Amino acid sequence: MLALALSLLLAQTPAPAPAQPPAEVDRLALLASVAPPRREALPRLLERARAMRLGEDPGWIKVGHYVPGPFGWKSEADGEDFFRAGKAGKRHPQAELEATLAALFEDTAPVADEMKDPACRFPARLRFLRDRLGIGEEVLPTRPCPRFEDFRRRVSPVGATVVFSSYYLNNPSSAFGHTLLRLDRGERRDSERAELLDYGVNYAAASDTSNPLLYAVKGLLGGFKGEFTHYAYYYKVREYADAEARDLWEYDLALTPPELTTLVAHLWELGATNFDYWYLDENCAYHVLTALEAAAPRLELVKGAGRYVVLPSDTIKALYGPPGLVREIHYRPSILRQFQARVAHLSPAALDAVEALQADPEAPLPGALGAERAAVLDAALDHIDLWNFKALVLGKDPALSRKRQRLLERRAELGIPSAPLVIEPPLAQAPHHGHGSFRLGAGGGASSTLGPLVILESRLALHDLLDPPDGYPPVAHIEFVPLRLRYAPRHQRVELDEGWAVKALALNDLSRFDQRFSWRFQLGAETLRDRGGNGALTFAAGFGGGFASLGIGGVADLMAGADVDVNAAPGIAGLRGSGWRLGVGPSALVRLRAGDRAALLAEAGWRWLPEASPRETWKLSLEGRLHLVHAPNGHDLSLALRARRAPGEDSAQAVVYAYF
Amino acid sequence: MKTLKLAAIAALALTATAASADGIKGNGRYGTAGCGLGSLVFGDQPGAVQIFAATTNGTFASQTFGITSGTSNCGPGLVAQGTKNFVEGNRVALAKDAARGQGDAIGAVAVINHCENLPAVAAALQRDFKVIFPSEQATDVQVTNALLQTLHSDPALGCKAG
Repeated sequence: MLALALSLLLAQTPAPAPAQPPAEVDRLALLASVAPPRREALPRLLERARAMRLGEDPGWIKVGHYVPGPFGWKSEADGEDFFRAGKAGKRHPQAELEATLAALFEDTAPVADEMKDPACRFPARLRFLRDRLGIGEEVLPTRPCPRFEDFRRRVSPVGATVVFSSYYLNNPSSAFGHTLLRLDRGERRDSERAELLDYGVNYAAASDTSNPLLYAVKGLLGGFKGEFTHYAYYYKVREYADAEARDLWEYDLALTPPELTTLVAHLWELGATNFDYWYLDENCAYHVLTALEAAAPRLELVKGAGRYVVLPSDTIKALYGPPGLVREIHYRPSILRQFQARVAHLSPAALDAVEALQADPEAPLPGALGAERAAVLDAALDHIDLWNFKALVLGKDPALSRKRQRLLERRAELGIPSAPLVIEPPLAQAPHHGHGSFRLGAGGGASSTLGPLVILESRLALHDLLDPPDGYPPVAHIEFVPLRLRYAPRHQRVELDEGWAVKALALNDLSRFDQRFSWRFQLGAETLRDRGGNGALTFAAGFGGGFASLGIGGVADLMAGADVDVNAAPGIAGLRGSGWRLGVGPSALVRLRAGDRAALLAEAGWRWLPEASPRETWKLSLEGRLHLVHAPNGHDLSLALRARRAPGEDSAQAVVYAYF
Repeated sequence: MKTLKLAAIAALALTATAASADGIKGNGRYGTAGCGLGSLVFGDQPGAVQIFAATTNGTFASQTFGITSGTSNCGPGLVAQGTKNFVEGNRVALAKDAARGQGDAIGAVAVINHCENLPAVAAALQRDFKVIFPSEQATDVQVTNALLQTLHSDPALGCKAG
């Protein structure tokens, strides 16, 4: 018996597979035994739907993705077949409802493709109409939808989870994090359910370009189609936690079984259509919320998620709007955190061995006990995977794969299990604790050249090194469109002090196991405060790299490196008298942090300006922040005090920041 | 709102660094790599490649799995649950967990195969490591078959077929 089962299992090596799921074939046969709907009931149902103004019901509005606008309702769905009422359906929810209802009764020709049958194409709408209009089996018999049933059986969730994948500065499209929805096959996390086998549902842009410039432009202009797709969750764990070393935060939601049923039905509806993908607001994070609202119209999530820019972290905060929606939080540490946890308690000799094993997989293991040796091999393996996961998966480095195989064999030969790695979740860094991503600032100051100053600031997103630390990685500065305006009343002069499209800084703690550079990058405009720049507003771009040492004494972070800057404007004394000025030179920064209440940042930079006049410039700045209010919804309040010195101007400023 | 987006564009466009390195264009046809996830869209590309197919945030998500377009070329199968599919998508992690005799990749394999005794499964994978993963060049099919052999030849593990 066992042998038979085994041989059956082993026999499932690649066999020619049918081109179409066989389920399609059965449908006509199944349909033959289904009674047609009672069409005479339709007029009465239409009348009742009109009387109830059912088209304006939140359940219908949300399942059709309608949003109110200056000209009435408009659906955000952009696939034409999402609307039964044609073009009118996009703007008129009531017309769409009536057309859907009519189609359910009239559009019942026996077709093999179930997506042409409205009952199979719109299972969530059908649920809504049955429920609200009391349409029973005797009036509208259930029609066979084998592919939908297959999907439903496969995902069969007993829970839903929103998964947040942490900020990843190395890829501009995910610098702000990413969210996806997970359909959970069980409530417990134990031997009967492996989360890895759950399904992840992802909303993402179907990019048709590999040109990064085109990608950015099309992404911002809604030029891509956004589509819902689904995966085994393990693909996402491998991609995010292993390949990109990003922590995953999982927010389990309290949805009722009927809401979960509607969720699955609605995802099916969404899977067959598309939305225009807008990088800033109608993005991955936003449509996770709209899908949840459609499944549970009682939830108001989108309203809490920001108006102009919807970031993944904003949508996580929005989950805390409806009381009790988040049932539990789970944390899945990235491969980086796992490695750090494994080396945290190793002896110096063991650390040496971990390093030696990277070069020579046969290097001797320290310690007499099996457990000690196992710990060294476990850390060495995580180290290889941390830096080479992609090459290993793709088989791009045969020598490395060979080395790893030897380490694995040596580890297995020890014959003792590793203790489960227990990593305390860094709860303060959970994204729902973060300050709001949008920031406004107002204050005043004094300039050595312009006298009193009024300061106004704004920033679309996200976080700098001095912002309230909760909810964000402590090593990253990523700002999208930060602007600072200065007004000097004595001179009736308004100037853009700084305005960046993007400003980013990534600090990497240099250690024997992590030799990554720290780097910075910025692009935008700044007013030069030196003699050659003459107070001119210039196009500005800069990048640099260096080394950092973080968490010294638990309070101090240091970085030192070299930068290259370019400034351009007509009239500045640049390269050989042109308007282009190149700057090259060292930079350094020191940050001190006092818990989550205050922080201090000192920065210094000197630049050699080749072929320009004068030949050098420099900058010094010192800024302190006091975090006055930390609100649960992220509406924090902070006070900034800063002093700056440059060859052309000294200034002091005080600014109050409000986060939204 | 849209003007705000426009205002930000010129500059941001310039800042998008190579987001594109990992684009792998699928041919949109069913392949021969087996059932389910491992076989769709990528033709004969190994399943693991799919981890990188959709670069972060779905930059290249056109190769991913539609919800309504069918997800398995083996009929209504349990896509995420086949042992072979799992090996294809998790081989690097599974080999490491097997060598350690501990980890959630082993837990997933045990769930797929309805095994009752998880510690015994973990110990068996560690014991048979060199049989299941004889070399880094072994194919996913070889690994899968050896893995199933280990799981289903020892009744003490409590694994059940089907």
